[in-house]
Amino acid sequence: MSRTDISIEGLVVRAGSRVILSLNRLAVAPGEVLGVVGPNGAGKTTLLRVCVGLRAPVAGRVTVLGQPVFAPPANRHGRRPARLNGGALTRLRQQIGYVPQELPGHSQMPLTVREVVAIGRTGIAGLLHPLRARDWDIVDQWIDRLGLNQLRDRPFSELSGGEQRKTVLARAMVQEPRLLLLDEPTAYLDPLWRRQIVATLDQLYDQTGMSVVLVSHDWELLPTCCRRVVLLADGRVQAEGAPHEILNRERLAALSP
Amino acid sequence: MDFRFWLPVLCAGALSGTSCALLGVYIVGMRIPSLAVCVAHAALAGAVGGALCGLTGPAMLAPALVAACAVALLLGHAEGRGVQIDANITIGVLFSLSMGLAFLGIGLLGRLGRPDNAVRNLLWGNVNFCRWSDVYFMLGVTAVLAIFVLLFRKELRAIMFSRQHALAAGIPVGLVWTVFLLLTSAALTVNFQTVGGLMIYSLITNPAIAAFQLTRGHGRTLWLAVLLGGLSSLGGFLLAAILDLPTGATIVIVSSALVGAAAWRRARRAHGGNA
Repeated sequence: MSRTDISIEGLVVRAGSRVILSLNRLAVAPGEVLGVVGPNGAGKTTLLRVCVGLRAPVAGRVTVLGQPVFAPPANRHGRRPARLNGGALTRLRQQIGYVPQELPGHSQMPLTVREVVAIGRTGIAGLLHPLRARDWDIVDQWIDRLGLNQLRDRPFSELSGGEQRKTVLARAMVQEPRLLLLDEPTAYLDPLWRRQIVATLDQLYDQTGMSVVLVSHDWELLPTCCRRVVLLADGRVQAEGAPHEILNRERLAALSP
Repeated sequence: MDFRFWLPVLCAGALSGTSCALLGVYIVGMRIPSLAVCVAHAALAGAVGGALCGLTGPAMLAPALVAACAVALLLGHAEGRGVQIDANITIGVLFSLSMGLAFLGIGLLGRLGRPDNAVRNLLWGNVNFCRWSDVYFMLGVTAVLAIFVLLFRKELRAIMFSRQHALAAGIPVGLVWTVFLLLTSAALTVNFQTVGGLMIYSLITNPAIAAFQLTRGHGRTLWLAVLLGGLSSLGGFLLAAILDLPTGATIVIVSSALVGAAAWRRARRAHGGNA
């Protein structure tokens, strides 16, 4: 049996009576960078949220880093897949660098960039344990590696969109994750910043070699380390393969509303 | 001035200022300042319910606390569980419901021929009437709250930034958030019966907002807010004593003036007038 970082079988996610994601089989091998592309409402974000246990499916098995995030019910009376218990799920999330699409914009508190990045070490340090010198060293290293040194004491809310994206990416990287899940990391950015973020992702992959699932509707700007793409539309896989085989204008134009 | 009379008032004001400011940093940080007033008025509805059941004096604190905790947990955990209503709108619904239930209860007390002075005092709360027993209650709750914030400050910082990012980072958000809401309920219930809703709202919102204008970083903001909360209470009290004015009103005015001064200073800094 081959080892996979993500393994999904027979997944069905509903919103009310509507099926928003239906995947027969999807696997991500260790060290692989998988691009998930498709139009808005294709089910890309839902896929990532299911992988970290933030969205429950109505059917299917989802295994991440060897842990059954969702597994078919043990007895025939159970109708929905059983979610991994709270403590185990929390520990699993500490090994996954999940970066949601929405940038946190609602906090009034002037948290500095360094404090925001340190959030990534908070779960790992554990309850009742303050962040140790090693945690802060890791935070400072990633601030440096992502070119945020000049901004480390600036309030997060005063940064540009691109700088905020880099900060939340650093927040995920300080977890030293085995798996990185990125939801639209270039959303709402101008072309210059989009290229810079994509270059940063390539650089990160070169340095770490970790598995990455990258969700994007920006199919023209995928990092070069992404060698396999899944094209989603209406919650179903439309095509799968190498980016140059899958992503052609005709196919994507056909999917546009 | 009768020092023996005013000393507990002074202590209650300072404790109220510091505990509310501590809560305010998180509640205002998450843009839900109305949560405080909503929870406080749920406590009032609970106390009225207790009075209807024949409870009197400090015993009314128990149903008040239960009601406050119930509303705080409902507000804190409704979001993300299929409830498609903005938190501030849910607060509006629950606030009006709490007030409605409280006034209904007060009306029923009158109809049953029972005295309603105790609950009316709760409704308007007056710092000038507090005694040492109230101060001890406030001191206990403030101490527990301060210890909790000290022990869980890194988790609270993450939750305040974004609950989604905190969950993603493997932080047990549900546990920490629930304990925070329960302590918030306890602090607000005790403060409400002593200082009243208006002062609570002012002391939750104003010191935190003023601190957000003046500094950056979690720890510094927390300390500054607590300092400004205490300063608002003591400053307002002294002003009231010197000018013979109502204490609650002067505390609210002093804390509002601090916000104005902080906003002015920040605006000056932003325009390069005073770095």
